[in-house]
Amino acid sequence: MATDLRISNISKIYPGCIANDNVSLQFKSGKIYALLGENGAGKSTLVKILSGVISPDNGEVFLNEKNLKLSSPLDAKKNKIGMVFQHFNLFETLSVFENLSIDATEDNKSLRLRINEILKKYNFSIDLDVPVLNLSAGQKQKVEIIRCLLRSPKVLIMDEPTSVLTEQETEELFISLKKFCDEGILIIYITHKLKEVLSLCDEVAVMRKGKVVSVSQTQNERVETLANKMVGQKLAKIKKKINISKNKDEIFKVKHLNFYSDDPFETNLVNLNFSVKKGECLGIAGISGNGQNELFQILSGEIITPDTSIIFRNKEIAKLNPKQRREYLMAFSPEDRISQAAVPELKIYENVALNNFKSSNFFEKGLVNEKKIKEHSKKILSDFSVNTDNVELKSQFLSGGNLQKLILGRELITAPELLICYNPTWGLDVGAINYIHETLIKINDQEKSTILISTDTEELLKLSDRIAVIYKGKLSKIMPSVEVTPEKLGVLMGGGSID
Amino acid sequence: MIKIEKRNDVPMALYFFTPFIAIILTILGGGIIFYILGFNPIEALKFYFITPISNLYGFSELLLKATPLCLIAIGLSFCFKSNNWNIGAEGQLTFGAIVGGGVALLFYNQEGFYILPLVILAGAIGGMFFALIPAILKTYFNTNEILVSLMLVYVSKLLLDYLVVGPWSNPEGFNFPETRQFSDSSRMPLLFEGLRIHAGIFLALAAVMLSWFILYKTYLGFQIKVSGLSLKTAKYAGFKGKTMILVVFMISGACAGLAGVGEITGPIGQLHRMISPDYGFTAIIVAFLGRLNPFGIIFASLVVALTYLGAETAQIFLQIPKYTGQVFQGMILFFLLASDYLLFFKVKILNLKKNELRH
Repeated sequence: MATDLRISNISKIYPGCIANDNVSLQFKSGKIYALLGENGAGKSTLVKILSGVISPDNGEVFLNEKNLKLSSPLDAKKNKIGMVFQHFNLFETLSVFENLSIDATEDNKSLRLRINEILKKYNFSIDLDVPVLNLSAGQKQKVEIIRCLLRSPKVLIMDEPTSVLTEQETEELFISLKKFCDEGILIIYITHKLKEVLSLCDEVAVMRKGKVVSVSQTQNERVETLANKMVGQKLAKIKKKINISKNKDEIFKVKHLNFYSDDPFETNLVNLNFSVKKGECLGIAGISGNGQNELFQILSGEIITPDTSIIFRNKEIAKLNPKQRREYLMAFSPEDRISQAAVPELKIYENVALNNFKSSNFFEKGLVNEKKIKEHSKKILSDFSVNTDNVELKSQFLSGGNLQKLILGRELITAPELLICYNPTWGLDVGAINYIHETLIKINDQEKSTILISTDTEELLKLSDRIAVIYKGKLSKIMPSVEVTPEKLGVLMGGGSID
Repeated sequence: MIKIEKRNDVPMALYFFTPFIAIILTILGGGIIFYILGFNPIEALKFYFITPISNLYGFSELLLKATPLCLIAIGLSFCFKSNNWNIGAEGQLTFGAIVGGGVALLFYNQEGFYILPLVILAGAIGGMFFALIPAILKTYFNTNEILVSLMLVYVSKLLLDYLVVGPWSNPEGFNFPETRQFSDSSRMPLLFEGLRIHAGIFLALAAVMLSWFILYKTYLGFQIKVSGLSLKTAKYAGFKGKTMILVVFMISGACAGLAGVGEITGPIGQLHRMISPDYGFTAIIVAFLGRLNPFGIIFASLVVALTYLGAETAQIFLQIPKYTGQVFQGMILFFLLASDYLLFFKVKILNLKKNELRH
């Protein structure tokens, strides 16, 4: 039976921001639809409305011409709208089967039978009785998909599904999605990755600033045309860096980095050894949750591990805390910019004062030197083109891109010899990503080094001189990035090996 | 259907205004309770909130009660601002009083200008030491400071009990559970003839000024603020987390110890079992009612001190137990938390009927 989903004049207004502005879209089963847009374009709001998480201020949703009342996720389920969120809603310590049986209405025996049918039909290989925490991200996602399939959905919405997947897992996902589509499930695919839209979807709706700006057949689109629609301006293409540094001094050297944690949700790190040369960018690829968090914290000094040796500019710094490491001209940009790199409730200048050198004199004799901090902050705001000049503004009012510029600016204005950053462009829009990539390239051009821990392979290939992959707390051999392809990285990131 | 959403931005003015709303609601709530108990609510509230401070003596009593509350709350604000939940100020007060009182007893038959400063100093150190116990256990053994600091309250109270009935009891005291009277040199100077208000109030005011300076103008204050908002950020910035926990507990304990020593060298003049009507616990309410702001705490300590006085007046004139004071203190906290909830979240009532009509 054909499914027809129609969104009519949906509006949702938040204080100070119109998330959805009179959005109307029509979807028919048999096709895969992409909903494309930058962060903050209103995709998530629309999806949340469709899945009953939030209610629109205005407008209606029709499924096969029936007006749907979606006031809770339960209503969405009842109306056969399935949703796989970017962040999985699974109990890590329960088994796959237990997770699936939580909201099931039938007895365990017939449920297991139906799950097995689905596994067989779609060629999923998942052991139903292992705890979810032992599964890879791709497998977890399959569990979420199975949960939806059990309710024989008419509509399946996938929210940024590939952000945690390897290349292989992504391919597998696409095959499954195409199968679902052939069986008459209407698929709405939310993403900001242009290539995926082109390779998977039949029709693409682009959203910008809460509005639908274009609906078109993907066969008529190219990466550039879609990107321009998404951003609303022509994008300058960044040149891939070619200057591979040779025979340069090693500025940073890590030996015997081991980390054992009692916490089952942390990853143990096993004997990591690597070094960074002057002016070089060392990329560390991997799917999140393979030890990047722990590695970043050890490199920044938030976690001190015994027996590890970290040599920076010929000094042993393994026992120093982050503040002391900064004095040696290291800088850190953590993944979590909202609640770690900055405090949303603090004003911009107070957030700037978090990175505080002896020589910066922010706190002379233990007293706050507000004037100095504010001057310094103003300079960061203008040098790194943050779109405000008000240092008294609370940083929660900065957009993700501007906040990241502020943080990078704070870390870089002191001209560090080594910047360690972890997913610096995560969740940012194309404009901000470009700016940050340019900044990171500029650092290397000035003979300063960077360590880029990232889950975005495209970013790694664009910026790194050498790349290693971290998988389950172990580091692969370090390869020159010119020899690396996305496929190779994908194999390593998924735990495979290459010659 | 009711839906609760977080507010994006809370106006600062409203943030400092809600304590007043809480106080008004407490008074209204109190009126209702009096009415149910069969009293004329207006008259009862008058006995509670106006009669106690209608003369100079009453006003001095208000300041007398507000002094320890203010001191302790100032100390607690350091802990609470930095996410350290010290709820054992009552124990730190008691221990400060024990140490300070011990020194005072050493000099029970001596006079000298140096005695009072020594006693005060001993009290502060006593409180500081007692607060260090939960702090050290927290930093080095990962214990929960809420439990440890609370349990230590009973340790110090029982120790005081033991001392006043045992080794320190007054040899000429007919076995009453109390020590000798302190000598005049160990007593806080009175500010006015005939009133009980004493020089301890200057200690409280000094603590207010000093805490304002530390919290808003120093690196330590900045670190406390950041740690309170995000421990992750504090770690990332490289603040010495352990040292800071020790420091805020020491400040907090010293303030509570000072409050304790102020009581025994001020109105009481000796050690006995009942040196504090739970000032250490009530000060938690004071700290939050004052929004952890030094000047807010002055105001809050006066309001809460009034509930102590009102309860005593009500006991005399209306024959209701003075424990109604605690009812009022409880109501203040309850209404403050409730209005804070409405301040930080908004409640939406979705009109279901309208939606259903569409079908």
